[in-house]
Amino acid sequence: MERLQSSDLIYLAPELTLVISAIVISVLDLFLPKRVNRDLIGWLSLLGIIVSAGWVAMYSIPLINGDGAQLVSLLGGSYRIDNFANVLKLIMLGGAALIIFMSIGTVKEREIPHRGEFYYLLLPALLGAMIMASSTEMITLYVGLELLSITTYILVAIRKSQAESSEGAFKYLVTGSIASAFILYGMSFLYGMTGTTQLGAIRQLLNDPQFYPLIYVSYILMIAGFAFKVAAAPFHTWAPDVYQGAATPVTAFLATISKAAGFAILFRVVYNAFYGLGTQTIHKDFFFILMLLAAIAMILGNFMALKEKNVKRLMAYSGVANAGYLLVPIMNDPYFAESSMHYSMFSEFVYYLIAYVLMNIGMFAAILIVTGETRSEEMSAFAGLYYRAPGRAIAIILIVLSLAGIPVTGGFFGKFYILFGTVQSQMYWLAAVMIITSVVSYYYYFSIIRQMFMRSSFQASELAKGIPLSAVLWICAILGVVIGIVPQWIIGYIDSIFQYGFDLFG
Amino acid sequence: MEAVYAQYAWLVPLFPLIAFLVLLAIGRTANRSGPVIGVIATLASFVMALLVLFEQTAEGGMAYVWNDLEWIRAGDFVLAMGYEVNPLNALMLVIVTFVSLLVNLYSMGYMKDDPRITVFFSYVALFTFSMLALVISENIVQLYIFWELVGVCSFLLIGFWYTKPEAKAAAKKAFIVTRIGDVGLFIGILLLVWNMPGHAIDFTNIGNAFASGDISGGLATLIAILIFIGAVGKSGQFPLHTWLPDAMEGPTPISALIHAATMVAAGVYLVARTYPVFEASESAMQVVAIVGAFTAIFAALIALTQTDIKRVLAYSTVSQLGYMMLALGIGAYAAGIFHLFTHAFFKALLFLAAGSVIHVLHEQNIFKMGGLMGKMRITGWTFVIGALALAGIFPFAGFWSKDAILAEAYASHPVLFWVALITAFLTAFYMARLFFLVFTGQSRAESSEAGHAHESPLVMTLPMILLAIFSIGAGFFNIPGSDRLAAWLTREAPEHHASVLVMVLSNVFALAGILLGWLMYGKRTIPQDWLSARATWLYRLSYRKFYIDEIYDYVIVRPLRVFGYFLHLFDEFIVDGIVRLTANITLAIGRAGTRLQNGQLQTYGLVSMLGLVILAVAFVGWRFVINAG
Repeated sequence: MERLQSSDLIYLAPELTLVISAIVISVLDLFLPKRVNRDLIGWLSLLGIIVSAGWVAMYSIPLINGDGAQLVSLLGGSYRIDNFANVLKLIMLGGAALIIFMSIGTVKEREIPHRGEFYYLLLPALLGAMIMASSTEMITLYVGLELLSITTYILVAIRKSQAESSEGAFKYLVTGSIASAFILYGMSFLYGMTGTTQLGAIRQLLNDPQFYPLIYVSYILMIAGFAFKVAAAPFHTWAPDVYQGAATPVTAFLATISKAAGFAILFRVVYNAFYGLGTQTIHKDFFFILMLLAAIAMILGNFMALKEKNVKRLMAYSGVANAGYLLVPIMNDPYFAESSMHYSMFSEFVYYLIAYVLMNIGMFAAILIVTGETRSEEMSAFAGLYYRAPGRAIAIILIVLSLAGIPVTGGFFGKFYILFGTVQSQMYWLAAVMIITSVVSYYYYFSIIRQMFMRSSFQASELAKGIPLSAVLWICAILGVVIGIVPQWIIGYIDSIFQYGFDLFG
Repeated sequence: MEAVYAQYAWLVPLFPLIAFLVLLAIGRTANRSGPVIGVIATLASFVMALLVLFEQTAEGGMAYVWNDLEWIRAGDFVLAMGYEVNPLNALMLVIVTFVSLLVNLYSMGYMKDDPRITVFFSYVALFTFSMLALVISENIVQLYIFWELVGVCSFLLIGFWYTKPEAKAAAKKAFIVTRIGDVGLFIGILLLVWNMPGHAIDFTNIGNAFASGDISGGLATLIAILIFIGAVGKSGQFPLHTWLPDAMEGPTPISALIHAATMVAAGVYLVARTYPVFEASESAMQVVAIVGAFTAIFAALIALTQTDIKRVLAYSTVSQLGYMMLALGIGAYAAGIFHLFTHAFFKALLFLAAGSVIHVLHEQNIFKMGGLMGKMRITGWTFVIGALALAGIFPFAGFWSKDAILAEAYASHPVLFWVALITAFLTAFYMARLFFLVFTGQSRAESSEAGHAHESPLVMTLPMILLAIFSIGAGFFNIPGSDRLAAWLTREAPEHHASVLVMVLSNVFALAGILLGWLMYGKRTIPQDWLSARATWLYRLSYRKFYIDEIYDYVIVRPLRVFGYFLHLFDEFIVDGIVRLTANITLAIGRAGTRLQNGQLQTYGLVSMLGLVILAVAFVGWRFVINAG
């Protein structure tokens, strides 16, 4: 294996920026006197994220131009800076920037006692997510995964005076460890069979009939482990309790960045290590398991949300359902359906992911607004919002409509493209499940709107104020509609820069 | 010559859209500045549209298409958005913006005291925007979107005085009746998308596909008829004409806008735009011609006996639109568009003049008017010009366009020619009746207001004067022997069907109509109830609009209600039962799922392990099924 040369470090600039920011900010937090407003730390982390995003964008440019020589693969192909990684990193960085922005000035001492810590723990978590997007080697991947996991365990527990928070963190830690155990167990099989940890090499070595039964074991174990991370049913059980226990910005982070990172490695592992193995039967088997997982997630997530009264738990179930929708494009693949020619599954995935991240961050901003001072997270917190704050209510409606998938929003076109791909790949029953569960989801999404219009607000609490919070709400609402008006720009763009062989296979 | 202004044709609809947004944003606080914004925006659009038109008329002005905005790509189907400039829609842009500009100007006076004047102007701006965007749409799906938007705007504007129950009912009726036509158009579009080579739905490709015979025979007829059904709804052709007269409940400037330039012109425009589709099918063309001719004479007969000044004009619009459809149906494409062009001026003029009368008298019944000529000279004279143009008297604009249609009909369809000629006579008669009752004789007003009737303010008379000038002069763009408009529209030398006989005949018939009208309502040598007393049933038939509304009520609405009642019972017990059952099952699943979510970490671990087992078992089962199968 090659060593990391010091000249290679320049390619790690986005990651290093985050590391340096985290260190500088933590030291700064130590030495700043108590009376200095910790919002300063928030602005600094935001700056770090923006600089990091700038680096990512800079490295994307030669790749977008199709200059294959510029594809950077470090440590003997363990760490790739390709279009796949760059697109996902930009989404993660953008999402994190929005989350930090909405936290500034809104997150009060009572909500998170150590606000400095909140910001500088968020950065390593983000770093972990970015490592996951870039890694094509099992150990690197695992390190990224644990970096993300461990920092988020702490972030969930950061409201340590609250029992809910500690309870959530404890559950998250235990279930997260189970997931890690699954993944490691699965990985150990792969290593045992092939003797390497490089995903690309594994795929070539696995093409040996004697391994076939064991491949299944490792595949199922790893998929189950990743399903924990993306909270796909039936491995979602931690999500409602943890979402409820964590501070709202942390929940937003778990729901968006953490989930996106989970999908990044799911995508990589499925395509890099398991894609097109041996006969088509094996391939079909693998995808069948994913289809099953997606279907269960869509059904359970949406159905369990129906009776939920707590908004953050509701978002957890909605997240489970969306994990199901996001799993679908992974299978919208030409190899699976012999006849069709469907090559845009990555753009479908990215489009819906962008819509999903916008909708969720917007929704959590809305939750921060309505829970306000009293911190009641029941659905009734939305009661009569239209009459109390019509402007923000309209923004929330736009976000909810996008979540429910009403035209012409990002959520609608996201689901539309995924559905279209599903039909093209001839997975009709999965398409049917998608449609039916989407209809079911209207019930609970519209109950939020119903609260805003048709319930009186006599016991409603004061709304949270703060320009960043409202700004994030509006940014998410408007972007959600804009990407619905010009969906082809994003889809076409991703299609034009993304190539299977170039960007996914090492 | 390089198309310069055509590249910026998208600016034409943009100005009213901006005006709409601005008016929406500033709201009712700006009752003074609101109208000005509307006028300025339409003025800007008008200037831009004129530039585009001049460029098109110039030698070598080429059609310009821009459709790079790819909106949706689904497999091999691409829905692009864009715009197109060609002679037809360059002309339409000018008509729409010109009439809209004058209507905006006029409304500043007409709506001055309305508390919701800003809302009114914002709706008008949106209406204008929708129509302009419809006109420059590059493909039929895009056209359909704006087509519906036009429908929505007409709904909003007809029901503008929503406190009046009639206005509410009329708005609803307009929306529902035109929707029936829209369904036809929608199915037609679906068929087009399905059958067009490469699913191309832009007009250029549609034209080529039909012209080259890629789509022909029964399918072409079907698509053409379905598109025509859409046009029938929007353009108020028989049997979907009933909404148009009711739409008179809206403010009068809106009637002018709807009748002259926007809503109803959309139907004719649609047929003209998809003309190759119709040309591909002989029978579709015949349907268009016959429906058009029938509507023309049918509506003219109804107009004879109406007592509401605006309703007479409304039926005359229906009748004239029938003329245009007739022209398109017999292959006189240029003549049809020419009539659309001239009609826009004199019909807008007539409505604005009628509005001016109503504005002063607060009365719409023509038997309660009279003797206004002396008090409202400008209104009176411009009305005369509009009426003469509508009646088709030489040398007013209506004469030239009507003559072009008649000449074509004379050459190819003698029966339709006579129908059209009789319609011309009826038209002249009811216009004469209208004029003599309203403007001459003694005042029969009940209220005292008529006593001090006076001319309307300049913002209202100026648009009328401008329109009057065009009502006189617009015909000279296309006089026989010098068919510049026709040559430019079709980009080929027109055939000459001009015949002195037709010209003489049409003038004789029109003059006869006017003479009869004068004798009955002006000089009163023939008693007014001469015919109605002798053939009461005939009079009643016309007065009650051939009972079409009643027939619809008995044949369609009431049976539907009874049917609906049964459906309601079915719905309440069976469908609702199923729905409740489904809902309960759904909730039960949800509850079962929530039970797993009991907060116990042990359960969570167990569920996860079970999940793993389920995945493995399901997968083994799937393999088993696959292998067994």
